[in-house]
Order: sequence, then C-alpha cells, then structure tokens
Amino acid sequence: MTAHPRTRKSLAAATAATAALALAAGCASKTEDSSDAGDKDKKVFTVGYSQANNAEPYRAQLNKQLEYFAKKYDNLKLLPIADAKQDNARQVSQVQNFIQQKVDVLIVSPNEPDPLTPAVEQACQSKIPVIILDRDVKTDCYSSFIGGDNYQIGKQAGEAAVKALPDGGSVGEIRGLLSTDPQKQRHKGFMDALKGHDDIKVVEQREGKWLQPEGTKIMQQWLARGTKIDLVYAHNDPMAIGAQSAAAGAGAKGKDIKFIGIDGLAIPDGGIRAVQQGKLIGTYLYPTGAEEAAKTASELAAGKKVEKKQTLDTVEITKDNAEDIYKQYDMSQKVD
Amino acid sequence: MTETLPDLAKDSGNGAGTLTRAKRILPWLGSLQSYIGLILIVAIGIATKGDTFLDQTNLTNAIGAFASRGILAVGVTLVILTAGIDLSVGSLMGFASMASAMMLADHDMPVWQIVPLCMLIGAAFGLVNGIGTSVLKIQSFVMTLAMLSIARGLDRQMSDNQSVGTTVSGPDGKLTENAESFQSLGTPGHNVGVGILGPDGIYYPVLAFIGVCIVFHLILSRTTFGRHIYAVGGNPTAARLSGINVTLVVIAVFTLSGMLAGFAGPIDAAYSVSADPQAGNTYELDAIAAAVIGGASLAGGKGTIIGTFVGALILTLLDNVLGLNAVSDNWQLVIKGLIVVIAVVLQRPDLLRSIKNRLTPARKENVA
Repeated sequence: MTAHPRTRKSLAAATAATAALALAAGCASKTEDSSDAGDKDKKVFTVGYSQANNAEPYRAQLNKQLEYFAKKYDNLKLLPIADAKQDNARQVSQVQNFIQQKVDVLIVSPNEPDPLTPAVEQACQSKIPVIILDRDVKTDCYSSFIGGDNYQIGKQAGEAAVKALPDGGSVGEIRGLLSTDPQKQRHKGFMDALKGHDDIKVVEQREGKWLQPEGTKIMQQWLARGTKIDLVYAHNDPMAIGAQSAAAGAGAKGKDIKFIGIDGLAIPDGGIRAVQQGKLIGTYLYPTGAEEAAKTASELAAGKKVEKKQTLDTVEITKDNAEDIYKQYDMSQKVD
Repeated sequence: MTETLPDLAKDSGNGAGTLTRAKRILPWLGSLQSYIGLILIVAIGIATKGDTFLDQTNLTNAIGAFASRGILAVGVTLVILTAGIDLSVGSLMGFASMASAMMLADHDMPVWQIVPLCMLIGAAFGLVNGIGTSVLKIQSFVMTLAMLSIARGLDRQMSDNQSVGTTVSGPDGKLTENAESFQSLGTPGHNVGVGILGPDGIYYPVLAFIGVCIVFHLILSRTTFGRHIYAVGGNPTAARLSGINVTLVVIAVFTLSGMLAGFAGPIDAAYSVSADPQAGNTYELDAIAAAVIGGASLAGGKGTIIGTFVGALILTLLDNVLGLNAVSDNWQLVIKGLIVVIAVVLQRPDLLRSIKNRLTPARKENVA
C-alpha cells in the first residue's frame, strides 16, 4: 500500500519524462551519433562521486544537482553515486573502488576529514584528479576544493539577528552536533557578528544534533524555564522549523519569537518554503557546489588548470527573494 | 519485586533497636522500590525547578516528546517477555512516519484512514519478523537487525531521501482540512478532545501512550494470551508441553510490536511537522532501555508494562530535568548514563533482601 502512492506518482512522472525524452531525442540524436562515430577529440571521461550519506535531504539534493549539471557537459559521464551511509570505512573502500576502476575524475564529499585523507592521497598518487566537495581533507594532494563558508554564513546570520533586534534582545542558539566542523564555524561567525552589540545577548544554547524533533523539545524546555527569548538562531532549517512549531504551539508565550535557519533547500519541506510561510524570518543558502563541481570536473577532464580552492558565497533568503531562489535550485522538474 | 515484601514482614518482629526500625521500614521501602528511580528524578526535578517542573504543560511536553518511543517500548516489552528482541521498531516507525506524511501530502487522505493503514503496514513488517523468527528459526536479533536495514532502505527509496512536511497548504495558502486534523496527532499546541477531556483537551501523544500502556497491561495480566506470553518466555519447552502454540505466540508478539511501531509513526511525523528519511534512527535503543530499566529481563518471562511505563518516564523526565537546569550537553550524556545505572541498581528486587541478609549476621553478633 505504501509503495503504491509514490509508484502512482512516479508513473505520472515517468509518462511526462518519456514525452520529454521523445522530444529531446530529436535534438540530442545528432550529438549522440557523432560521439558514437568515434570522434577522437571528444573522449568521454568517467566521473566517480563518493557521497558521505545519501539520507540527508541536503545531500540528496546535492546528488540530484550533480546528476543534472554533469549531463550538461558532453565530455562527462557520471558513474552511479556511491553512498557511504555515514561510514568512514565504507567510504574509503568506495573511493578505492573508483581508483581501481580508473575513473578519470574523482569527486569526494568526505564523511570525516581524517579517515578519508589516505584514500584521497592514494587517488592522487594514481594520477586521478580529485575534487573535494563540501568537507575538507587533511592533505594538499587534490586538484580543487569546493565548499561553502560556514563562518561567513554564521556571520551573516548574526548580522541579520542584529538587524531584527534594533532595540536589543535575547537570543537562543540551537547548535548542530557539537563535534562537527560546520557547527563550530556557524557558531563562531554568529558570535563574532554580535560583538559590539552589548544589548543583544545569547541567553540559551543547546545542542540540537541537526534534528527537527530535538529543536521542538529544546524550545519547549526554554519556554518552560521562562527564559525570555526574542530570536532563535538554529544551525539548520529543520531545527529552526522544529523550534518554531514548539513556539507556535505554546500560544502567547511563543508568539513574537523570530527564527533564523541555515540551508535553504529548495524542496517542499525545506527552509525556503518555511521563509515563505513566515515560519522563519530568513535562512542562508548553504550552496551544494554541484554546479561548480561539474564545471571543474569537465575542465580537469579537458586538461585545463582549475582553481585550488573555490569558496562559494551564501545567499540571504527572505520573503522577497524566496520564490526566485526556489525556482533556481528546484530540481524536481529537472531530474526524475 | 513484590515477593520481598512478605519475606521481610515475617522477620521484622525479631531483633531490637535501630536494626528493628531499619527492618521495619524496609518493607515500606520495598513497595516503593520499583519506582525509586522515578521518585528520585521527580524529587530532583521538584528540588531544582519546583513549579516549572511540575507545570502541566512541561510534563505534557516531556512525555509527549518521548511518546512515540514509549509506544515502541510497549511492543518491545512484549517481544522481550518471550525472550526475543526487536531491533527493527525504530526503522518501522520511521517507515510508518514517512508513509503517513506521504498519504497526507501526496494523497490528501484523512487521519482516520492514515492511522489504521500505518498500523497495518507496521503489523505486516512485524508478521515477517515473527515468521522469520519462529518458522525459519532465525534468531530474533538477526532477523530484526535485517528488518531494521530493510525497512530503512524502503523508507529512503520511497521518500527519495527527502523529508516530507505535514503542514500541507491548499491552493488558498491555508492548511488543507486533512493537514489540519493531522496536526492533532502530535503537533505541539494541538490538543484533542477540547471541552470533552478537560477545558484545554489532552495532548494526543500522551493520551495514546497511556492508552497503549493500559490496553497492553490488561492483555498481559488478564488474558490467556498474556499468560502464554510469560510462559513462552519463562520456559518454552514447558509451554509447548502444556499445549501452548509457541510459534503462534511468537508470531503474534512480533506482529503486535510492528503494529505499535506503525501506530507511533504518524505521531512522530505530526510531532516533527515532517517525516525525515532518518526518523526513528536509534529509537529502538531508547525503547529497549525503557523496557529494561522498567525491570524486563532480556532472558524472557519477566517484565511488566507498568515497569516499561516507569522506565520511559525515567528516561524522558531525566532529560527534561537536565534541560530545565541548563546542564551542558556533554555532561547531560554522562549524567544520563550514571542515573540510569543508579536507578536500575536501586530498583533491583533482590537489593533489599541482600541488605536484610547483611543485617541478620550482624544481629547475631550483637546477641553473642
């Protein structure tokens, strides 16, 4: 019964996709023919991508975008994405598999920096160009690092908090898993932005472990404690939305609290929609880097030089630009 | 637990002075003993945060946050009583949570259809667990570990690794009628039975958890099926020889455990206002912990639903008390572990007897 709903939906999607394909085939057939004919200059390069964990909505979105953007480059063929399921050992062996298969370009989103470092060095020694996506490794032996700037995001969120509290006020911070690097940067940036604004105080801080129900529970406990909170800064959108639902459920006590999140995923359940619905006053796009990764892979395959470190800017998402940003990053119509 | 009571009372006439007094209060302590962990935590809560802790909203929120895991714990208790284990409940709940959110978001189904369907789905998974365990003779640890993986994989496939929100808006921008009523399953601030069950109504997750506890307490203590569950866990051979269909009992407890996981799914989705593909991850550990803290023995045949209820309250109220006192998150982990160990030791049924035994030789020396 449960498989049924999605099946019916994907059936409709499949029909639509087939129609689209039939249309596209007319245009695409020409290029396919020429590559099949063995045009020597136009070799197709295989790209292997090792993903830390498919089951996080952010990473699921990254995968979709990468598949979409990789298709835009004729010289790239993206192999099926390897999912490490948050397991370092599994990811190391998946990277080694790609090395064995002699992929032309390797993209890695490390689950954790240290355990993946030797595997990346192995790839580097096998003369495979490596793109590190999103999380860092502890070696220089790669071609390019692409990632967002969590410190900058935290800082912009802090500046937004200052703007949202012109008369000062109290802030509650719901932090990601304390041991993770994005958490540390998002916290540090935020605190730095508050420096010099003595009338704004962070009165509560808890670890929400990136999880939505934790955000709800923590907000309820803060309200029970009777702490006066004017604004909640959560290190990701799910925790912010979870906290918002707790405040909304608490009636008058939680009525005027403002919420800021991070991620800005263009999915129906994501932060951009939450901004449009007025649950959050703003969220900060944490760029997936998929577009840049595909471009860099194509350049590497063509033997071009690429930039060693590509830091991606965030975008502040408010009610004004939410719809445009959603359309720009929405993948539901672009890949199935 | 209760057998310590008459034992102690019988001897309490002997001895003199402090020892007599000590022994006289032992039976009184004995009757409270299985709740000592809970009493301890409530006492700490009142001592440190008084009215804030006892506030009805706070207690409702604390129990509500754990309700879905508490319901899982009831199912797991049934399985543990038959000397089995069910590691799949967290994944099954996650699957049901996703299924419920998709039924709402993609098919605009009403709550009264979603909840029974989710229970059926959970029961179907549980049935497979039961058949694997009893007919195919796969150890329940292995069978349900495999199911944990299977259900999670199906959950992720079905959802395409994306979370599905439960606050579904119609074309007019307002919540759809079905989404509105889905909120009553657990979205904070949405109570059921307003006017009927008190002026503010009752928070459904709390009602559901307590209801499930009462139903399964009655099944275990008042029905033949309940006695059979204890018999199968206590001594399967004797149970079989006395004419109990052990296979059927085992299949039934796994099916019920799955059904309860299915029942908990929509509650979790409504609480989080969203079903996450990772929802329910490691909830099986909390559920098993609640059962074991409540006195269930992993060896089977021993345990009660009241015990599991107390175990669940210990876990969630402890979390609440630490949160209200703004204890740092790192220390929370340490303190939670320590308190659970202390609670379990203090609740040991043989604790008082061993104290009594220590006191007895001491008295003889005094007399000599």
